Amino acid sequence: MSQEFFIFVVMVGVFAAGTFALKWPVAVSMLLASVAGALAGGFGVPIRHLVEGTFGYVDTILTIATAMIFMNAFKDSGGLEALSAATIRRFHKIPGLLLVLLTFVVMFPGMITGSSSASVLTAGAVVAPMFAALGIPGVEAAALIAMAGILGMIAPPVNIPAMIIGGGIDMPYVGFEIPLLLLTVPLAVFSAFYFGYRFVKKTDISAVVRTLDTKTLDQYGGFRLFSPVLIVLILMVLDKALPKIFNLGMPLIFVLSTIPAYFTGKRFNILNSAKTAIEQALPVLGILVGVGMFIQIMTLTGVRGFIVVNALSVPPALLYLAIAISIPLFGAVSSFGASSVLGVPFLLALLGRDQIITAASLSLIAALGDFMPPTALSAIFAAQVVGLDGYGKTLKKLVIPSLILIVWALVFIIFSKQIRTLY
Amino acid sequence: MTIIYLGILAAVLALVLWALVTSKKPSFQATAAMVIVPLLLRLLLIK
Amino acid sequence: MKKHHITAIIFLALAGAAAIVSGASFLAMRKPDIIVPGPGVSEVVMLSNWYPQLKGTPGDTEVYILGKGNPGASMLVLGGTHPNEPSGHMAAILLIENAVMTSGTLYVIPRANASGFTHNDPQEGAPQSFTIQTPNGPRVFRYGSRATNPVHQWPDPNVYIHASSGQSLSGSETRNRNRGYPGRENGTLTERVCYGIVQLIKKEKVTITVDLHEASPEYPVINAIVAHPKAMGLASETVLGLEMQNITIGLEPSPVNLRGLSHRELGDFTDTLPVLMETANASQGRLRGRTDEALVLTGKDKWYVKAQKLGRLYVPYDENGHPLEERTGRHLAGITELAFSWTLENPDSALEFTGVPAYAELQEKGLGAFLRPLP
Ligand SMILES: [Zn+2]
Repeated sequence: MSQEFFIFVVMVGVFAAGTFALKWPVAVSMLLASVAGALAGGFGVPIRHLVEGTFGYVDTILTIATAMIFMNAFKDSGGLEALSAATIRRFHKIPGLLLVLLTFVVMFPGMITGSSSASVLTAGAVVAPMFAALGIPGVEAAALIAMAGILGMIAPPVNIPAMIIGGGIDMPYVGFEIPLLLLTVPLAVFSAFYFGYRFVKKTDISAVVRTLDTKTLDQYGGFRLFSPVLIVLILMVLDKALPKIFNLGMPLIFVLSTIPAYFTGKRFNILNSAKTAIEQALPVLGILVGVGMFIQIMTLTGVRGFIVVNALSVPPALLYLAIAISIPLFGAVSSFGASSVLGVPFLLALLGRDQIITAASLSLIAALGDFMPPTALSAIFAAQVVGLDGYGKTLKKLVIPSLILIVWALVFIIFSKQIRTLY
Repeated sequence: MTIIYLGILAAVLALVLWALVTSKKPSFQATAAMVIVPLLLRLLLIK
Repeated sequence: MKKHHITAIIFLALAGAAAIVSGASFLAMRKPDIIVPGPGVSEVVMLSNWYPQLKGTPGDTEVYILGKGNPGASMLVLGGTHPNEPSGHMAAILLIENAVMTSGTLYVIPRANASGFTHNDPQEGAPQSFTIQTPNGPRVFRYGSRATNPVHQWPDPNVYIHASSGQSLSGSETRNRNRGYPGRENGTLTERVCYGIVQLIKKEKVTITVDLHEASPEYPVINAIVAHPKAMGLASETVLGLEMQNITIGLEPSPVNLRGLSHRELGDFTDTLPVLMETANASQGRLRGRTDEALVLTGKDKWYVKAQKLGRLYVPYDENGHPLEERTGRHLAGITELAFSWTLENPDSALEFTGVPAYAELQEKGLGAFLRPLP
């Protein structure tokens, strides 16, 4: 047994014991697992390394915190509920199409920002009540939102994992649009039908329409109530379209859109609303901080290299299996981390294929990292916006579509050259 | 832009601190304390 | 006092203590290395001399001028463009401490990204410095980050758009000095430093610019010279010269569609002949094991040995690693050979120096033998 393997076992063991047996918060378990790993590696308790690792997620923390503050303000203003009522009232005659359209709506913020959390926390939270009204149970709705979140992150124009993988071999982010659309759009349509159609088909939507509570909607009017979301969307699009002028970034966009939410609907205490939002987000923020420490210690002690080299050392025939297993597993760290640490070496191992399609496909597999506990950002937030207590059941529902996603991505890698001739 | 972002960061840090001191659950407090460290060091432009 | 108030105070105190201990360690990184100018240095000027807007910013950095005013050609050597690639930094320092110009002028910037030397990349577990033993005692050098310190340039955009071409890269590349050329007046700090270097090259009519780098051993462009089309002739002469000394080195044309890199933009936007050199650095690689000072100095790493056996690397890799002497020596041999090849073709505009340790000599005596005692 190599020393690295021993350290890895210690780290995972302390984490599992802390979380499952001792019921510590996940963040605290990650911290103590990192300390144990550093001790086992002979580094003492390297406080500088533990703290330094957390800085990999400072920007993510700000995005998540501000997104949660915005969504809570929008909810407290009555806008969220009213938006769902208005959409169902308008589109209830074509539920199948509505389902697919709503899935694309969830993807949209991720397409623009490259972040699945942005998708799930904004558009996901907006459509969650609509899915409920269409008769989709919470767990299925959360799974669909989570899946749409990661597909949005991968769909063009902005796909940060693909940029990271390409950047690792100095391949510019050019010509990715079509392969990424080919990869994501069919999966989005599939997911919408897989998770939702059988429920939507059974639901008597006209009955839903009759019982809709539209008091807030009638009082303030749709345009006024929904304007905070419109502002978010407009700012996101401007940010992407005119980066030289706007370049606000997600946290600022959310802050700028939270202020109008205070004036557009029901009155609420904006400080209390923001505090509640932070309380809801805090477990996830803590996990990010803990994972940051964990990965820093894994790198420091050589566990990261141990994992990467072992993933690469499988015989060529098993290379696809190694990709399918190791990238999503390592994605527990973050899909961006998996893209850099494993995506780049695997792309190099797959030289001779169409590089753009291969990198695009690897980015799709890397995105699955956002389903992987303990971070599981996409799944955790999807369960949260739907109003579920935990995300375990949501994850179980995501297993089969995730396997299909992996197979789909591998097919693209294997037939990359043939696919390239199609466009 | 840096100043604006430091302002956002300060607001988030203040909310986390507020949540920490008003929480009655030690597990929540421990998690909040972990989140405070990087936010504080970035706010002070140390790291 | 209620129980939850007590626990709150305890956790806040722990957080405060962690912030103080780690903060002190992070702040210590701000102290720059000591470089001892050798007999060949005529003048040390700040980069802001060529672009005054940099003055007082964390991007301003020393330019060591050797053989100022000499007739002949000139060369600019950039070390520390990526401060986690120590061989380039060390090669620049050895030039400053040892080289004496006999004709032509040498400009050396050892900390091309000064801000990057003040921090380490999160989640990379890098050492903050490494120590080289010399006959006169230890000399300590910073091991920094690939990118500008976020304390000096923050936040990153979602997507970095290279200003003059519109090319998109992931947002963190905004702080990558070698994606920012030709730089931008009033741009980000990183772009302004690039701009300052371009001003130096234009104003001083620098003949050859050498950007010194290292790459992870799994990266395809390694132990190589990357040259702009204009510099291809000079670079191929250099490769031949190095091969005569049994130093194997690849020659790569600068890709046309990859923008913001020195070997592309300096050639397109100025009259200099730009080349970039890469050596193999395990301490920045993804496959590396335990990350510490020893890895930086020796390059010995069992996982890289294993990866080499698996055929995953682009350089030979065995139990002997690739020590810093070897990597620094390759850079110095490359620089010497570039000057030699230039002078051979352009005897009227010569570029010649003495005192720079040869490749074999550096292997034999070690880096410490060529570092001056601290003042
Ligand atoms: Zn480099």
